[in-house]
Order: sequence, then structure tokens, then C-alpha cells
Amino acid sequence: MNRALKRISIAILVMFLLLLVNVNYLQAFETSSLSTRPLNDRAAFEANQYQRGDIVTADGVKIASTKPSNDIYKYQRTYADGPVYAPVTGYDTIFSASGVEQAEDPLLSGNGSQLAFRNFIDMITNKPQKGATVQLTINSKAQQAAYQGLANILQGTNRVGGVVALNPSTGAILAMASYPSYNPNILASHDGTTVTNYDNKLLRESPSPLVNNATQTTLPPGSTFKIVTSSAWFTQNASRNPDSMVYSPQVLTLPQTTNKLHNDGGEICGNAGANGNTTILWAFSQSCDTTFGQLGMQLGGGALKSMADQFGMDNSNLDIPGVTVAPSQYILPPSMPLTAFSAIGQYSDTVTPLQEAMFSAAIANGGKLMKPYLIQQVTASDLSVIKQTQPQQLSQPVTPTVANYVKDMMVAVVQQQQGTAFAFNANNENGIVIAGKTGTAQNLLNGVSPNPDAVFTAFAPADNPKIAVGVIIQGGGYGATAAAPVAVAVIRAYLAAVG
Amino acid sequence: MSSMTMPAPAAGSQPPGEIPVNRRSTELSMLLFVFGVVAFAFLNVGLSLKGQHPSTLIGYVVVFAVIIGAAHLAMRRWAPYADPLLLPLSALLNGLGIVMIYRLHEVGRNGNPSANGAPIITLSSSAVTMQIVYTVVGIGCFAAFLVFVKEPRALQRYTYILGLIGLGLIGLPAFLPSSISGVQGTGAKIQIAIPGLGSLQPEEFAKLALAVFFAGYLVAKRDVLSLAGKRVLGIDLPRGRDMGPIVVVWLISILLLVFESDIGTSAVFMGMFVAMIYIATSRTSWLLIGFAGFVAGAFLAARIFSHVGARFSIWLHPFSQQNLPINAPPGTPQPSYQLVQGLYGMANGGLLGRGLGNGQPYWTPLVQSDLIFTAFGEELGLAGAMALLLIYGLIVQRGLRTALTIKDPFSKLLAGGLSFMLALQVFVIVGGVTRLIPLTGITTPFLSQGGSSLIASWIMIGILARLSDTARRPPPRPIQEEGLTQVVSLK
Repeated sequence: MNRALKRISIAILVMFLLLLVNVNYLQAFETSSLSTRPLNDRAAFEANQYQRGDIVTADGVKIASTKPSNDIYKYQRTYADGPVYAPVTGYDTIFSASGVEQAEDPLLSGNGSQLAFRNFIDMITNKPQKGATVQLTINSKAQQAAYQGLANILQGTNRVGGVVALNPSTGAILAMASYPSYNPNILASHDGTTVTNYDNKLLRESPSPLVNNATQTTLPPGSTFKIVTSSAWFTQNASRNPDSMVYSPQVLTLPQTTNKLHNDGGEICGNAGANGNTTILWAFSQSCDTTFGQLGMQLGGGALKSMADQFGMDNSNLDIPGVTVAPSQYILPPSMPLTAFSAIGQYSDTVTPLQEAMFSAAIANGGKLMKPYLIQQVTASDLSVIKQTQPQQLSQPVTPTVANYVKDMMVAVVQQQQGTAFAFNANNENGIVIAGKTGTAQNLLNGVSPNPDAVFTAFAPADNPKIAVGVIIQGGGYGATAAAPVAVAVIRAYLAAVG
Repeated sequence: MSSMTMPAPAAGSQPPGEIPVNRRSTELSMLLFVFGVVAFAFLNVGLSLKGQHPSTLIGYVVVFAVIIGAAHLAMRRWAPYADPLLLPLSALLNGLGIVMIYRLHEVGRNGNPSANGAPIITLSSSAVTMQIVYTVVGIGCFAAFLVFVKEPRALQRYTYILGLIGLGLIGLPAFLPSSISGVQGTGAKIQIAIPGLGSLQPEEFAKLALAVFFAGYLVAKRDVLSLAGKRVLGIDLPRGRDMGPIVVVWLISILLLVFESDIGTSAVFMGMFVAMIYIATSRTSWLLIGFAGFVAGAFLAARIFSHVGARFSIWLHPFSQQNLPINAPPGTPQPSYQLVQGLYGMANGGLLGRGLGNGQPYWTPLVQSDLIFTAFGEELGLAGAMALLLIYGLIVQRGLRTALTIKDPFSKLLAGGLSFMLALQVFVIVGGVTRLIPLTGITTPFLSQGGSSLIASWIMIGILARLSDTARRPPPRPIQEEGLTQVVSLK
């Protein structure tokens, strides 16, 4: 019997060796491949065991923070004024994340390699691991004004709108609001069903509140594109200036077609009469389509596209950490008449509110376009700076001289009698001189409103620009009446805040 | 050719003439070590989960010290020559099991829905207390066995009664309505639920009764079973008329599989019987017949019964869309969810583990019972998982050593059978949760939550202790008092 027992012992030894080998394979070699398998919630959970870092605005308002939680996780993410800041912060659910929450997740969660040494020290000194704090470039007053401005106009409609404000000299994003918005607090719920149901609801809604209309929705720029057309025109010949005379007929006859280009309401451009000339400053401030249609055909699609691209359009590589950007497009028109339309921001031109802000920012900054950025700096829990964003020049679409010409014309839009946004002059009681350009874009394809899309781009103060704003309100009507008040509210709020 | 040759004195037996050492002091020092490990593990969980040591912990640790102390005293009094490692190793596993159940219970996630709405853990509020009560009862049964069964051969007298009891215990749940015998969420019918009290898993005790029955039966019949019949392919097949018993056991295990959905236990029964018949007869043909019979039965069952086939599918393709649907509407069955969560847990543990209280074992359904090994893998890492396997291996080794040393054939068979059963049970469940073999729900001895398994495991350690005590006990010494014996010269 003992021989059989010894053989059974060997069989048992083999069984245990198999178990040991298999456990080794599982825990030493398969760990990384298993950790990314579906339905493995352990990583998401791990992240919620530590106190996630805060997201704060440039003026120190906590817009995303954590509070202790008594349920399955130790901490609950909360968003102050969730819908206002949703396009900025993004969300952090137990399943996924977006926006800044996603872009800076390694540092916010505290698991980033830059924090490894600090975590080690914390472990030794028995301090709980804590994520780093992300400070944004956002100004809370400007952001609130932007969101309120959009909400006042768009609440109860099925139309969308977006606002972006930039610091022209650095590219820092001062405000980025989108409407409709959503409540990231519900997405931060620890209850999977709540998250899934709310997410499904947001995805079903049309327009989807999850889309950041400030940077992801492109709409026609309308007359604001005349900034690009006039920039190209000034650049083409150094002898041109805002007082140069340009052909400004009441009706522009287009080649190759029976269609004709009219000004808005068929009006006469300045004192040019039915078939005369006027200064480009006048044509710009009154926003004469015939003038710029004619200039566009003179310049040609190639020159317009080259200038548009210098202003940041057609740039699919524009990478702003924490922000998803849809490129604004200028598609080369295949014919002369379409070139005329493209020169006044129609045809296939589409821009985001971010691009609108970039038009003004480049002009305000003497022709230098700074790269927009949202994340100012990241500080560890011991307040040491882990990383900081340095302003970066993206391009220089125009010379300082040309920028100055365009600025003078934009000031005229708001300050002179014939200017399309002159109505705001009466409100300039604080002495803020605003330079801007209205756009009223025919967008028969928008399908949600018979009204044109309202567009406005501006910067202020004109002589010492501190803020550049782009506003687009889908189906808002005239740029001067729908979009401009929002932009001016943002400018006022910001200038009041920074002094 | 008979296998009746007496074994040569094995290494562990006491050479005659030396003063026998009972090794109880070794056992005591090992138990102190066990107590230290378990107490630190409790403290570790308390500090990890709450940042302090809750007052209840002191109670748990004190009770644990008292019961293992009592078990030690019982050994000193009633089995003084028993193997010194059996008790400390079992007590260590038992203690770590309580620690893990405490840890799973304190996680604060009881019944909370997971991402797909399924309950995550179903530990009742009294789970830890009950596990300690079961430990007390288990060690009580262990001591009682040592007190009442002074001689292993006493069991041999009840061979057939125990056989009938074993069969009855196994078969009982199959005849009861599934409201009483069904285990929620598993489809298995293996328990007897007593409303308000809990449930009893009779098979845990049936395993022991049947081990005794097999030992007694095989000792009586082994000469007949050893007789060779036809020789096929170099293997001596047994005679057809001797096939009866193995066919009966085979049928029982297949019936278990079909009517109670208890594949794991069925494999353990079958394996134990085949191993014991092999030890009794030394005939390889019995091994082959038993093994082939079980594989054929399992294969047929997998083909005919969907619930058996599903186990194979989960084993082979755990991540397939059918077994682990992704983006499916809530309520879609996820057959391999449990297995993969266990694997994720072990992967999450890595080499050194997350530390007690720092992992996330509660994602895994039934982690407190069938999949408790994965919880250890996650929190103690590869190092801890291997340590647990080695502890099991050591207990099995002590049992086999006893089997080799002991002279009485019945005791030898019983010790060998019980050791193999323990090894096989560990292989089936640990191999199952680590995807070495298909996962079948059986308990992890000493670690899993639940009274029946724990109490039965302690009785098994009682039997092994009694056997090893008998094996190592010095023979009674002839009386050689000078003054009483007078040598008479007849010259």
C-alpha cells in the first residue's frame, strides 16, 4: 500500500505545482492585460479612494472639488455652478471622464508619475494621498456673465450658442460657455444606474448638452469674416489704409451667374450711391456685402484661404489640453461668385465661437495670434508647482500696421453713427471703448430657426486690449442685437473684475 | 500478487528504545506564532479600513486565542503524540478566514448595487460572529472526536452505517424542494435551509462519512478487487463482477452532478474513491477506469445538460461577448462575471498584494465563500496566495506522512483518502478560481464563510490527529521492574 501512497503523493505534488505555476502566471505576468479588460472597475474605484485635486479658476473660485462621502467611495466629486462650468471642467464619472478632468486625470487623481515621490513621502509619514490642484485661466465673473447671457436668450429653445473670451496678449481662455449645458454633479454620482440614465438622456437630447458649443460647434461667421477679407486686402498692398476708396455698389453683379449680391435690406453703402465708391472703413462699419464681395473676387479664394488659415482656421492640429476643438473651416470656393460669398462669411465658411474670439485676439495683439490655453498651472498638495503653461505664439496673420487699420475699422463699428453696433455707444458710460464686428449669418441649413445666426467678435479696451470675445447664437437674429449684448456683458464683467 | 507486505519502518516512526517525544511544546510555540499572525492581520484590517483598531477586534482576537488554546489542551490530554503541525496549520487558515470575512463584512458595501445593478456582496451583519461561533463548534467537534474515538479502528465497526449515512446526506437535498435545498443565485441544490437559523450543507459531512466507509469497505474487499481479469494493452483489468462498487460510486457522482448541479463535490467524491481503491489494491487499472469514467460522464453531462456545458464555455472563453456581454441592456446575464472579477482581483493584487483592507475583493460575487481565495490573492498578492497553497500542501503532507507511518491498513487507507480529498478539494476550487480548470462551486477548506464546511474540516483534522497519534504512539513497554521479576535458575 505504501508504494501506491507514494505515487498518490507525487500526484498531489503535481497538483499543487500546477496551482502554484498558474497563480504565478496570473499574478506576475497577466496583471497588466487583465487590468484593462471590460467590466474591471477596480481602477476607477482606486481613483475615488483618494481625495481628487480641486479645479479652481484664475481668480480662486473652486469649481470642482471633493467632499467626504459615506457610500461605497471615500470621496464625492462636486461641481459648483455645474452647468456654468461644465464645458470647462468636463465630468468625472465612475466610468469615464472628459474635459480638464480627463486631460489632467493623472495629476488630479494623484497617480501621475510626477507625484510618485510625494506619494511615497506621504505614505511614510502616514498622510493620505491627495491629488494636485489644477488652476485654470478662467475668470469666474466673465464665465458667469457668458453663461447667463446665453441662457437669457436660449432658455426654452432648441437652439445652441457659445461664448469664448481670450486674453489677447497671452491666449489664456478667460471664459468658455456653452448652451445648452448639463449638470456634471449627476454624472459624478456613485450610483452606476443614475449615471447611465442621465448620460443616455443627454445623448438622446437634440441638441446634445454634452457638446461644447464654444469649441465644437461650427456655424457660418457671416460678416465677421470681413476682418479676414480686409486683412488680406490691406496686406496685399502696403499703400492701402482705412481711408482707401473701394467700389461699393448697391447691387453687385456677379460673373457666371444671374444671381446678384445685395446689401442687407438692399441699402446703399454710405454715400456711394447706386454705383460709386466709399472708404473701406465706412463699408466695414456699415458691413456692406457688395464691397467685400467685390474685394473677395479681387483677392481670389487662395489669398482669402491663406489669410483665414493664418487666423487659425483649418487647423486640425490645434491642441488645447482640456478642450476638444473642432477646426473652423474655409473651403476654397470653386468659382468667382462663390468666392464673393465666401469673402462675406457665407458659402461654406464655418467657425466656432473660439475662432471668433481668435479673430479679435489677433487684431488686438498687434497681429500676433497667441495659442489659446485653459490650464494655467498645476500645483501639488504641498503647493509646489508641478507644471505651468507658458504663452505661445500660434501665428502672425497681419503686421502691426494692418492690425491697427483693422482695429480702427472695428472701433468704427461700435463708435460711429453708421456702425452696425453703434447702439452700444450709448452704454459706454464707463468709458470702455469696444472694438467689434457684427455678423448676421444666413444659415438656411440650421433647420431650427427662420432667423439668421447672430455672431459678434470684439475686444476691449480698444487702445489697451485686455479681453477678446467671440459669441455665436444660433438663430439669434442680428449679431448686433443678440450676440453683441452677451459679448459686452462678458467684457464689462471681466474689466470690472480685473480693474 | 498481494500488497499485504508490511511497510518498512518509515522515517517518522519512533525507533524502539528511545524515549518518545510528544512534540506538544513545538505545537504550542507554533500556535503562538499563528496567534501573532492572525492578531496582526486583524489589526491590519482595522487600521486599513478605519484608521484605528475597533474595540470588537480585541474580543475577536481574545476568543480566537482561547479556542486555539483549548484545542491545544485537548491535544495534550487526548492525543499527546499527534502530529504537531496539524493544529497550528489549520488554526492559521481558520484565523485568516475569519479575518477575511471580517474585512469583507466591514467594507461598507453590503448589498450595494454594482455598475450593472447586481448585488455585490451578501454578507449578513452577524457573519463574523457566526463564523467565530462555527469555529468554536468546529474545534468542539474536533476535541469531542478525540475524546470519544480513542482508537481509529473503532470507526471501522461502523463502516456500513456510515456508508448509509453518507449516501443519505448526499442524496437528501435532491429530494427536497429547491426552496429548501437551492443555493440562491447558483442553481445548485446542495443545502438544507432551516428558516431563521441558516443552512446546512450535508455533503460536507457526507464526505467524511464516505471516506470512513470507503476505507472500511476497501480493506475488507481489497483482495478480491486486486484479482486480475483480462490483460488489455499491458494493463490488468479487474474482473467484470468486481466492478460493482466503482459503478455505484460513479453513478452517485453523476447523479450529484445532474440533480444537484454540484460538479465540484461530485469530482471530489469520485477522485477520493478512485485514489482510495488505488491505494488499497495498487492496481493502476482502477485509476484509469475511474478517471476515464469520470471524464466520460462529465463530457456527456456537458453535452446533455446546459448548466454543465456553460461551465466549460465560461472556462474556455470567459471574455467572449456571450459570456461577458459589453454594453448590454441592464439585466442581461453575464455568466462569466464572477470568474473574471475574481481574476481581476488577483491581477490587481500583483506580487505583493494591495494589503489587507486595501483591495477591492467585494466586486466579485460570492467572494466570501467560493471565491475567497481570490480575495486573499488580491490583498496578500502572489506571495500570500502561494503561502496559503503551501499551508494546504503541508497539511496534506502531514496526512500522507501519517498514512505512510501507520501500520493498520484501515487507518492507512483513511489517512491517505482524507489527505487526497483535501488536496483535491483545494485543487478543484483554487484551480477553478484561477482558471486552471472549470470553476465549480465548492468551499475552500477553513477559509470560506459557512459553518458546515468549517466544522467538517475540523472533524477531518480530528480524524487525522487521532490517526497520527496512533501512528506515533510508542508501543506499550514491557514491565521490567527488577524487584518484581525473579530469574530462577534450573541448573
